[in-house]
Amino acid sequence: MGWEEKAARSYGGFVQAAQQSRGRPVFALFCGDKDAQGRSWCPDCVTAEPVVRSELNSLPDGSVFIYCQVGDRAYWKDPNNEFRKNLKLTGVPTLLKYGTPQKLVEEECLNRELVHMLFTED
Amino acid sequence: MGSSVRKGKAVLPAEEAARPSSPRREQPQRAAAEDYHHAAQNANNGQAITASCKNKDTDLQFKIQAYIDKNTVMIFSNTACSLSAKVKELFKSMSVPYCSLELDKTEDGQKLQDALYELTMETSVPIVFVQQKQIGDYDKILKAHKEGKIQKLLETKGHDYMQDSYDYDLIVIGGGSGGLAASKEAAKYGKKVMVLDYVTPTPQGTRWGLGGTCVNVGCIPKKLMHQAALLGQALQDSRKFGWQFEEKVKHSWETMTEAVQNYIGSLNWGYRVSLREKEVTYENAYGEFVGPHTIKATNNKGKEKFYTAEKFLIATGERPRYLGVPGDKEYCISSDDLFSLPYCPGKTLVVGASYVALECAGFLAGLGLDVTVMVRSILLRGFDQEMANKIGEHMEEHGVKFIKQFVPTKIEQLEEGTPGKLKVIAQSTDGREITEGEYNTVLLAVGRDTCTRTIGLDKVGVKINERSGKIPVSDEEQTNVPYIYAIGDVLEGKLELTPVAIQAGRLLARRLYAGTTLKCDYVNVPTTVFTPLEYGACGFSEETALEKFGEENIEVYHSYFWPLEWTVPSRDNNKCYAKIICNIQDNERVIGFHVLGPNAGEVTQGFSAAIKCGLTKAQLDNTIGIHPVCAEIFTTLSETKRSGGNVLQSGC
Repeated sequence: MGWEEKAARSYGGFVQAAQQSRGRPVFALFCGDKDAQGRSWCPDCVTAEPVVRSELNSLPDGSVFIYCQVGDRAYWKDPNNEFRKNLKLTGVPTLLKYGTPQKLVEEECLNRELVHMLFTED
Repeated sequence: MGSSVRKGKAVLPAEEAARPSSPRREQPQRAAAEDYHHAAQNANNGQAITASCKNKDTDLQFKIQAYIDKNTVMIFSNTACSLSAKVKELFKSMSVPYCSLELDKTEDGQKLQDALYELTMETSVPIVFVQQKQIGDYDKILKAHKEGKIQKLLETKGHDYMQDSYDYDLIVIGGGSGGLAASKEAAKYGKKVMVLDYVTPTPQGTRWGLGGTCVNVGCIPKKLMHQAALLGQALQDSRKFGWQFEEKVKHSWETMTEAVQNYIGSLNWGYRVSLREKEVTYENAYGEFVGPHTIKATNNKGKEKFYTAEKFLIATGERPRYLGVPGDKEYCISSDDLFSLPYCPGKTLVVGASYVALECAGFLAGLGLDVTVMVRSILLRGFDQEMANKIGEHMEEHGVKFIKQFVPTKIEQLEEGTPGKLKVIAQSTDGREITEGEYNTVLLAVGRDTCTRTIGLDKVGVKINERSGKIPVSDEEQTNVPYIYAIGDVLEGKLELTPVAIQAGRLLARRLYAGTTLKCDYVNVPTTVFTPLEYGACGFSEETALEKFGEENIEVYHSYFWPLEWTVPSRDNNKCYAKIICNIQDNERVIGFHVLGPNAGEVTQGFSAAIKCGLTKAQLDNTIGIHPVCAEIFTTLSETKRSGGNVLQSGC
């Protein structure tokens, strides 16, 4: 059955994508917005995305992977932005298993073994 | 690109040899691997032979092990992978023959790769073995090559390579406070460490994640629930300070428990990330010794693996004891179950007089539940009894019922439910009276037993105290078997506290691997009991001091105090209490510190450091207090017990 990817922009978009995926394991990667050339303003996000993508084939069957762009740098820096307030995100990139306290933040996302652990272990 | 055959050896699997039925990694497996490999070697070079692989993990692992065993250099590779190509180039440049298996070109390559992952914890190719020693990926090979290690391995045929004799430098059995601290510290010094942690489910089926008792079913959830109860009290007090709210304040057990368990989950996860980052191998498996330097790890699916290590650390801790009366395991819960109970416990009977019993009874009552405590003899055995009795009195005055000098003899279920209804029949300790009661929940807190009886200690000769199950160790935490150490709650004669286990674990790792000599100091360890009226202590209880030094050589200074915050809401005066015990023969050195009052833990921590520095009464008197706080009472103690003077307070 494999896994399915959804793209989301904005907090509302993320919530919608997560709700559509109810009943299935949901993993989400939050990154800074990409420019017209496809490059994020967040350098760690640029490095993390390929690492995370290289492990997607170890996702449990039926999983949903949401790639969410959180906004531009100014929006992210605002301490009251919706991601900080509602999801308690503290940094980008953040890779998390939705509905659990399991997540990887910043440099942790660059560690392929940690990504594998998040995807495959309870 | 190209065929799967490299440098002179056929690598494609041949027909399967007959397999013995036992999956254990002992002699039978060796024989199977050899049979298989003879078949492989007899196969024609360059001829592609596909295997009739059965779909069993063990068969694939045999296969992989065979490749590793029979080849001086074994590379698990992928034709599309540039790093695999680079690694082969490296060996070619060293003129070292190697054998490579191209997983993308092999039938069942994906399954082989999965089996490889199980064996090696490596997720990508190339994975290289030299002289049966797993070196790793391209970066690790390059590094080992630069350090001359590859050459050395090849020259000595792997015999002199120190790590080769054991799988690990250190295996830690138990992933709690002590085990995790020791393993992370050892990993800091470059040691290859494994941690085995496994939670045997409670009779009610409760289990939890990595982190041990403290994190999951001890200190952490206890303190959070104690805080929940304190906040309830604060809400009541707040009206006197002018806060106005109309509704009666209610409490939701489910909301509290969910929040607490969520936090614990983040701690479990944090520990796993931390171990991975420090390259400590973690397995969720039950570890037991099977022979010298060897343990068996069994996971929850019953799968067994065997590992060897140069040294071992036992940090298996304890679990709650049951009464041994009818109905105890079927109907009662313990602290292991309480903090994740999915329903409010309701009217509760707490059996026991330990700090676990009193702390749990305390916060349950603080949350508004009907609580009774059944006590066999004294409260808080081992603690200063004057303080223990004050704690009990305070709880009684605040609605906790005590049934003293009784023990339960039978627990029956009257109604099923969440919670249900239970009937408890109890007998007085003098045997003369029987009493009965009905409760929704019965919480047993009658002691904890060490997890040392089923971990194979007899197989390696580690002596334990047969009666208590505890392990006697030297002052360097070494058991009677030189390569086996132990820390934490399993130790005989040592305090059962998280910070003690952590400190002992860290110092042990430093002594073993960083050449230090500092031993753990078990003297003057501060503690706090988080009953509704908190109790902090450091050093001697009054009884022990009297016994050791004699009444004439001890001076006890004491006083009640009234926290300023309690005045406005008219909370108890003359309940909070401070006491220090001084050794007259040694400059009135403070050898015992006791405080009963809010934030007792915060207060005690600072004074415990002073006591470690040799605090005397005169120094205490010379210290100017901070006003208005509870702790300042210690800087103005003047009445002694000997004088018999009045220590009741009438306000600031």
